[in-house]
Amino acid sequence: MGWDDVMLTQLVKLLEDKENGLSLSEISREMKAQPSAILSMIDLLVKKGRILEIGPDNKCCATCGIQSECNLLAARRKRYVVVV
Amino acid sequence: MTITTNSLFKLDYGSKIEREIAKLIAAFEDIKFDTGRYSQRWLAIKLLEADADILTRVQDMQNGEQVIALAKQGAEHVQSMLGDDIDLLTADRRYGYINGIVRQSLHRPLVDRLTLTDRIDDIVTHKWLGLPFFFAVMYVVFRLVIDVSSPFLDWTDAVINGPIANLFRFLLDLTSAPAWTRSLIIDGVVAGVGGVLVFVPGLLILYFFLALLEDSGYMSRAAFVMDRFMRVVGLHGKSFIPMILGFGCAVPAIYATRTIASRRDRVLTALLVPLMSCSARLPVYVVFGLAFFGARAGTVIWAMYALGIVVAMLAGMVFTKTILKPDATSAFVLELPPYRQPALKSVLIHMWENTSEFVRKAGTTILYASLVMWLLLNLPWGVTEQRDSYFGKVSGAIAPVFAPLGFGNWETGGALVTGFMAKEIVVSTMSQIYLGGEEAQVVESTTLGEDLIGIGQGFVEATVSSGKILLSIIPGVNLADEESTSEDTALSLALRDRFTPLSATAFLVFVLLYVPCVATLGAIKHEFGTSWAVTSAVYQTGVAWIVALIVYQGGFLLGLG
Repeated sequence: MGWDDVMLTQLVKLLEDKENGLSLSEISREMKAQPSAILSMIDLLVKKGRILEIGPDNKCCATCGIQSECNLLAARRKRYVVVV
Repeated sequence: MTITTNSLFKLDYGSKIEREIAKLIAAFEDIKFDTGRYSQRWLAIKLLEADADILTRVQDMQNGEQVIALAKQGAEHVQSMLGDDIDLLTADRRYGYINGIVRQSLHRPLVDRLTLTDRIDDIVTHKWLGLPFFFAVMYVVFRLVIDVSSPFLDWTDAVINGPIANLFRFLLDLTSAPAWTRSLIIDGVVAGVGGVLVFVPGLLILYFFLALLEDSGYMSRAAFVMDRFMRVVGLHGKSFIPMILGFGCAVPAIYATRTIASRRDRVLTALLVPLMSCSARLPVYVVFGLAFFGARAGTVIWAMYALGIVVAMLAGMVFTKTILKPDATSAFVLELPPYRQPALKSVLIHMWENTSEFVRKAGTTILYASLVMWLLLNLPWGVTEQRDSYFGKVSGAIAPVFAPLGFGNWETGGALVTGFMAKEIVVSTMSQIYLGGEEAQVVESTTLGEDLIGIGQGFVEATVSSGKILLSIIPGVNLADEESTSEDTALSLALRDRFTPLSATAFLVFVLLYVPCVATLGAIKHEFGTSWAVTSAVYQTGVAWIVALIVYQGGFLLGLG
């Protein structure tokens, strides 16, 4: 890989192929980059509305089931999908 | 540190974006736009990206509006050609450039621990598997605590009632101490304090496993798993953290509720924390478990811990629907750290700090309580039957309250009253009552050398037996022979004459649930006021009586009595 890799495009393309999305650690492994580096890219893409944060089972968190108020989701297993 | 910039360096954003940047810089010159302290190229990029902060600043500059309009045109042109927002395209180029530099200059393996943590978490925090896993872990821990510690409990019991008691007798003989002093030291101090110190090995092993769970990162997962159930009672997983602490001691657990933002949540958590079985109750469980349930003692003890959690959930539901209606639930953010191999030093410190606190308490609270107990058991002076002592009479007066629960004798009633000081004192009181009058026993005379050899041999034997039991946990390995199973302590034998397995179970349930010790009530009063301390004492004793009644009478009806 050279210096001119397009990381954001690569990240979006990666997620396009995953119907259930990927977690931060999975993205980090696929892109062979540290999670902290990936996180800022994810933040930008979420802000721009290109990708969406979802719960571990696409619907809700493993505990209370209320995704909109789920604080635990922030701590664990947040997944990301491309906005179609 | 001096920061130098390489003025020759220019990140290439690609021909189309570069063309728009160049056009905008040319426009700055044409319309005499002074970029001030900003470099022309940097400002052009920021304007094309429509950076909100820069747009505000440029708007106030001369010809700023014109420059912003030109930048907007340029950005739209790029978007139409490349099909994406220019800020995303430039960010993409920057991340790519950074990534390239990192790849070329830094070589480090990806941390696999994260992968392993994820895989483990998929099971231990699973929606359905998480809770059974938690209870299974607790079960294994308590089985290990009981099975592995039992040879050491026997050894400590033998050392305290053998060489140590002999040493006291020798010193008392040497000083020609009067009979009442002999009785005070042997029946009061050795039976009372020694009866509690016997359980130090069990506590060391319990704290060892709790430290392993805590340091490995599993305890946070337990809080995560329990969050779902805590919501049923109008709390959240954060409240389970003080409850986990409550397995050690309820006093720090009560103070740990300070981390909870809502007062209502704090009060409710503090009311439920004492239902978590603290380590002070463990000696009571072990004595009764070994006396009545033999090899199943570990299961019974685990059941006590599980019952504490279940009753806490039910009590929480009742409080939530009555005097502590839920307010807006505050946020619960829980960090789940990666799993780590616990550090031996940290585990040893944890074991030492908690066990030394227990030993310190044995040397202070339990010693004083034992002395007072001895006095009350021997007043009025010259009383021959303990039942006729002040303690016996008061205990006899309250004993009928416990009769429907299966343990309506004065000894048990008295032990429960003294247990209010500290739960371990239930055992020390029983030791004093049942093992008092030991002077009448024939004491085998031994030399100091024989005692020391006996202590050493006993320790080696206990270590070998524990090692065999530990190895026998591995499926297919059975090294624990019948001979290595736990011997009965003197107290266990005495209890068999006064309890049946059913009444012993009801007694354990009562000890688990009844009024918290005075230190815990003090902590609740300090944090929430007298009324909540009284509430805690009254409701727990009421719940304990009802649940023990259900256990005993229910068991009786089922023919288990």
